[in-house]
Amino acid sequence: MKESPNNQKLERLLRSSILVAGGFMGSETRNFTEVIDADSAELARLRFTNEQLAERMRQITKSAIAGLGAWVRIDGNKEAAVQEAKGSLVCPWPHAGRYAKRITTLRDVRTGESIRWSDLNTHMIGEHGFFGGKGSMFRIEPGEIVRIIFQA
Amino acid sequence: MFLAVLIAVGVVSSIGAGLAAVLVVSEHFFANYGQCKITVNEERDFTIEGGKDLLSVLTGEKLFIPSACGGRGTCGLCKLKVLEGAGPLLPTEEPYLEKDERESNVRLACQVKVRQDLKIEIPKELLAIQEYTCKCTDIQDLTHDMKQFRFELIEPKTIDYIPGQYIQLLTPAYEKSSEEVYRAYSISSDPADKGAIELIIRLVPGGICTTYCFEYLKEGDQMKMNGPYGDFRLSETEAPIVFIAGGSGMAPIKCILHHMKNTDNQRKATYFFGANKVKELCLSDSMSQFESDLANFKYMPVVTSVEEGESWDGEKGLVTEAVERNLKEAEKCEAYLCGSPGMIDAAIKVLKKMGVTNDRIFYDKFE
Repeated sequence: MKESPNNQKLERLLRSSILVAGGFMGSETRNFTEVIDADSAELARLRFTNEQLAERMRQITKSAIAGLGAWVRIDGNKEAAVQEAKGSLVCPWPHAGRYAKRITTLRDVRTGESIRWSDLNTHMIGEHGFFGGKGSMFRIEPGEIVRIIFQA
Repeated sequence: MFLAVLIAVGVVSSIGAGLAAVLVVSEHFFANYGQCKITVNEERDFTIEGGKDLLSVLTGEKLFIPSACGGRGTCGLCKLKVLEGAGPLLPTEEPYLEKDERESNVRLACQVKVRQDLKIEIPKELLAIQEYTCKCTDIQDLTHDMKQFRFELIEPKTIDYIPGQYIQLLTPAYEKSSEEVYRAYSISSDPADKGAIELIIRLVPGGICTTYCFEYLKEGDQMKMNGPYGDFRLSETEAPIVFIAGGSGMAPIKCILHHMKNTDNQRKATYFFGANKVKELCLSDSMSQFESDLANFKYMPVVTSVEEGESWDGEKGLVTEAVERNLKEAEKCEAYLCGSPGMIDAAIKVLKKMGVTNDRIFYDKFE
């Protein structure tokens, strides 16, 4: 399917490294709408929505902020910490949106498995259904994050 | 029938393509804005070829307006007053401008296209900003994810700044970034050392500039920076000082301490520096030296959690908890904070609870 001029422009921006090192698409060969469609289908198969996932990510980040960089216990078997840097990240979609450079790491203390996301990831998942292209620095696999975030 | 539909689609597509071509050609031949004069603060003017956005025009004239999004109209930082010639406010600017700003002709420089003569007003402090070419002469590991970089100035050869201010470092295009980008870093060096700038930088995963500085920048490489910027600075009162910082928030506080030493400042000062682990503490020797040099200065590092095998008999817990336990007569103090938004918000809450009023709390939030 032919992409609209706006989508083509967004595709170029997502593949550029204007906003983050290496861009948002990594080594992805599909275009961003195909990435979004595939991840949405995967999330639907897991019976979750983008909004549910983003809301839970936001809750965890909010709890972790209280640790001022140290690990904070979440849900008994997990702990989370945030790392914040000067400046902000700008959403590549065409709307007003600046997000703190804050990275949340969530780890399962039993297995050692961990996953991390930025505030911009949370926004892009919740608002645009975008989990990043394969091979990009902040690509999040829907199945992986659902397992770590929602599993007791 | 099918053939007729195909022909109709073909005709409509051709007309569309033709019109698009006409528009492109028209833009090329007729959207020629000619020479446009830009008058700055009614003191200086220059003439440029019209058609470009105001932000890039000003950068070209070495007038540096802060911007974090590379002129895409999404950060809202490049505000200035355009008194004449800007045309109507664009929908892309509206979300970033308060009512009083709109009424006083504040615009986003990146969204204003120069199509005619403009009269603009730039805050005086931004006019003092210069671009510097410098050479990286020293890189030191401070912790596993923090380094101190020293840049000696080549042109201009010296810089004047107020301790607490920051510069914007220009990262060139490299393997992981196809574009040049600016990022802001607080100056950590001794302000008496006018020929160089030191920065304390913490690695940001995926960060364009920090990745460049940590993985690509080598001693001897040339860089560009501009500045100084920022309002974070020591007041001229005699009130006791409490500094609270974490991570690379060490930088402006260290710079202020150099300044206090240089000016023989006798104010009572306590510095609470928070780290998650003992190994994340840095510049302890420099802080001890400041304790020797400044009669009324005390450095109080605070570690959140001590790992097995580590030895630590200093303050433990969150930095804000250490402030609550140790700060005496808080209501008389002025507080200077630098660090993550989370740390600053938590510190402000604690300080207010201890009686420090808003007008005595100064901070450089990582935003």
